Amino acid sequence: MHSPELLKGTLQTILLKVLKDHGKMYGYEITQRVKELSDSRLLLTEGALYPSLHRLEAEGLLKTETMMMGKRVRKYYSLTSNGRSLAKDRVEELVDFIRTMSNVLQVKLA
Amino acid sequence: MAQLSSDHIDYIIKDLNYRGIVAEGIQDELLDHVCTAVEREMEKGTRFIDSYHHVLRSFGHNTGLRKTQLEILKTENKTTRLMLKNYFTIAFRNLKKQQFYTLINIMGLAIGIASCLVILLYVTHELSYDKHHEAANRIYRVNCEIKFGANHMNLAVAPAPLADAMRTDFPEVEHSARFWSDGSMLIKRTDQNIKETEIIYADSSVFNVFTIPFIKGNPKEALKDPYTMVISQKAAAKYFPNEDPIGQTLIIENKDNYKVTGVYENMPVTSHFHFDMMLALVSTDYNKDPNWLSNNFSTYIKLRPGADYKALEAKFPKTIDTYAGPQAKQALGADFTMEKFRATGNKLEWTLMPLTDIHLRSDLTAELGVNSDIIYIYLFGAIALFILAIACINFMNLSTARSSNRAKEVGVRKVMGSLRSHLVRQFLTESILLSVFSFLVALVVAWIVLPSFNLLAGKELFLPFDKGYFWGGLAAGALIVGLLAGVYPSFFLSAFRPVNVLKGNLSLGMKSGLIRSSLVVFQFSISIILIIGTISVNRQLGFIQNTKIGFNKDQVIVIKDAYGIGDQVQSFKDEVLKDSRILSGTISGFLPVSGTNRNDNTHWPEGMQPTEENMVALQCWRVDYDYIKTLGMKIKIGREFSNEFPSDSGAVILNEAAQELFGFTKDPIGRKISTFSGDASGGIDRDHPKSFPVIGIVENFHFESLKQNITPLALFLDKSIGLVSFRFEAKDAQGVIATIEKNWKALAPGMPFSYSFLDEDFGRMYAAEQRLGKIFFIFAGLAIIIACLGLFALTAFTAEQRTKEIGIRKVLGASVSSIVVLLSKEFGKLILIAFVIATPIAWFGVDWWLKNYTYKAEIGVMVYLLAGVFSFVIAWVTMGYQSIRAASSDPVKSLRSE
Repeated sequence: MHSPELLKGTLQTILLKVLKDHGKMYGYEITQRVKELSDSRLLLTEGALYPSLHRLEAEGLLKTETMMMGKRVRKYYSLTSNGRSLAKDRVEELVDFIRTMSNVLQVKLA
Repeated sequence: MAQLSSDHIDYIIKDLNYRGIVAEGIQDELLDHVCTAVEREMEKGTRFIDSYHHVLRSFGHNTGLRKTQLEILKTENKTTRLMLKNYFTIAFRNLKKQQFYTLINIMGLAIGIASCLVILLYVTHELSYDKHHEAANRIYRVNCEIKFGANHMNLAVAPAPLADAMRTDFPEVEHSARFWSDGSMLIKRTDQNIKETEIIYADSSVFNVFTIPFIKGNPKEALKDPYTMVISQKAAAKYFPNEDPIGQTLIIENKDNYKVTGVYENMPVTSHFHFDMMLALVSTDYNKDPNWLSNNFSTYIKLRPGADYKALEAKFPKTIDTYAGPQAKQALGADFTMEKFRATGNKLEWTLMPLTDIHLRSDLTAELGVNSDIIYIYLFGAIALFILAIACINFMNLSTARSSNRAKEVGVRKVMGSLRSHLVRQFLTESILLSVFSFLVALVVAWIVLPSFNLLAGKELFLPFDKGYFWGGLAAGALIVGLLAGVYPSFFLSAFRPVNVLKGNLSLGMKSGLIRSSLVVFQFSISIILIIGTISVNRQLGFIQNTKIGFNKDQVIVIKDAYGIGDQVQSFKDEVLKDSRILSGTISGFLPVSGTNRNDNTHWPEGMQPTEENMVALQCWRVDYDYIKTLGMKIKIGREFSNEFPSDSGAVILNEAAQELFGFTKDPIGRKISTFSGDASGGIDRDHPKSFPVIGIVENFHFESLKQNITPLALFLDKSIGLVSFRFEAKDAQGVIATIEKNWKALAPGMPFSYSFLDEDFGRMYAAEQRLGKIFFIFAGLAIIIACLGLFALTAFTAEQRTKEIGIRKVLGASVSSIVVLLSKEFGKLILIAFVIATPIAWFGVDWWLKNYTYKAEIGVMVYLLAGVFSFVIAWVTMGYQSIRAASSDPVKSLRSE
């Protein structure tokens, strides 16, 4: 499992990318998806996930819709058009960063 | 896929709630998350309760859950848009809930801000004088100070040759120019004469010194040739409607033809001169006057960039020695030297006054117009600040006083995780919102009252709605006032400790009000100072109006510009006197009100050598036989001029001040005074002094503003046909005017008939003081009203707080009056303290202002007591209503609530 410290700077990028690929998702679904994609090596804690989602929403990058499910209310997140364009930029930025890191650390990425 | 049963979900809701997940929105979202996670666990065959605890563990139990909630809340709080919206909603709700206090706050603040706005407009207007000239900061006027024996003059004018000498002798002077005023003049185009007051002779170089934009004609050539003139747009429209004025001719004083060579834009209001017509100075003989000892020309110089005017001023004494020295020597005798002249305490000095200072700091003899005074700027600025302070204090007091009502809110908010900074922001939003409202109301109020203020202050101020800086300034003002008024309450309120507040340990309201009490004291101190100021100013004004001025200013009509009918003035007077309602009349341009002729000349007792010690600077007025009778002066010794004594044409009547300075204390009648006579060339003939016997002494009368002492004065029997004054019977002023006008029209067709009453002219000398009095009165009133508004709300609040106490007291037998006293006592004490503080400050202020006057009204102790009692009564009436209402309420009602 990766250290949450490493995750910190990239969390928003991950959220944007996942939502970009899958359309609308709810919180639990996102954690499961990330877990799946990373072979359980990345675990999003709720304490990090939800504040990030709310911040992205407040910044106008995400929009939400709620669905009543009996006593439960499910809140789906999806990208706004702003979010979509930003998602692309952020991913490119991160790829670039990884490349730089590999150079700095003198390791070859597979 | 497993579905949780309704019971399970209820369990989770309850449990999460119990664990502290309460925030709206977050609760639902976390619930769904937990439920889904539990369902996944249960799919693996785990029991519900085990799955639930497993999921909780992944959240980090209570701490983790609450941390998540806090993180989300923090994120939301940081996103300004949402939080601002929240602040605004809460602020609106609070303001609406407390309509009474909101209204009082907005009203008080709005009145305060509107006053400030109006005063600010006035002050900026006053400060903008003469700034429109391109090189305004390089232009200076040459002032002249002369002290010679008992004679002391501060003049705004300088000798005729000075302007040229400045330019040739001092390289730092780039341009110089002169104005020369010959008073008002009669102008006509064809036959109808019009009297123009804003008319002046000017050098052609005035256009090099000042920025006077031309609409027609060439400023470079204007006023270069004799008998040319330039006129303002206004004058052009008046004399040449729909015509091109260039090349046209106007007739000045019925004799000289002047050709118009240019039209300039009307001079702005914010200029210390506003000429409608400028005549070429080269047309007059005075232009080349070589006399360095007579001062008649308003002289302006423009320095080169970077030149230091103080350094230039330092070079002036030498120049005076060079030019004025020899002429003084010729006049005063061979043993005269400038060194001796200065050594005996005499003075002849030129100083430079920056152009932009003239309007507010210059009150010299022979100004081009009436100037204002910097004192008014300071006074009004102070009043504006005071009023604003009083209004802000109201806000602070009301907010902190009501703090107990909001203490619980603060406690709950803090328990809910609100940070102190959030609360501060919340309260500041409220105060800024209130201040913005007040500014909007104030803008409307200012717009409504501005015309009345203009009338009062004699100005043409307007709100510059089209200017960006105006709106920017207003917005900044609203923000600053909101912050100022809100900063103390918000820090005060947000500092409450939730434990104390919620347990009810914090006893608030009136007891925690040391700061509040001092603010009330401050408010009322200012109010009392303003009241005392107002009463004192009005007292002094009344004193001036009613003091013994030595002549009778009532029922005298003054006919102006009598020189227009020339030699017929005597027959005009005789004709008018045939009317039985006219008691007597006199022809003289010299009247004991300012703005009429003045002429001074030095005299000495006959038989002595004229020296600096025995020469008396004497106002020499040329009057006719009926002067003293018509103006109601009193002869103390001797007699007035009379037809029966032909020798009276060479005689003189002195006032008491002159009698004393000449040393004629005993038996003055028959003593003689001498003066230099003129020689054929217009110079001074030292060898043949002229002498005049004294035939009477007239009691001192005031002939300048009461700010000044009565100076020596002499009346000579001589011709001076500027004005004709008549004393008439009180009954029928309109009829008298009609009769006089009829006679005037018959003798002087085509001459404008203008008149005034002597008492009005007299009153005009004190127009500035009267204005000050009225403005003081209004703003003092406003200050009191705002302070009382605050007091009113404070009492209302105290009464509300003490409802129960009052109820219990009444049940135990307290009377209404004792409860009223109880409620009023606290504030009564504060006002007493305010009175004690205000009195000495007001005393100093009034004393300082009265120093301007030689003749002052007695401002007795009564005035101070009156102001104290007045403010006490007003405050008591304000409080009384609330107190009585609270005291007479039915105790059953107040005790049963809760």
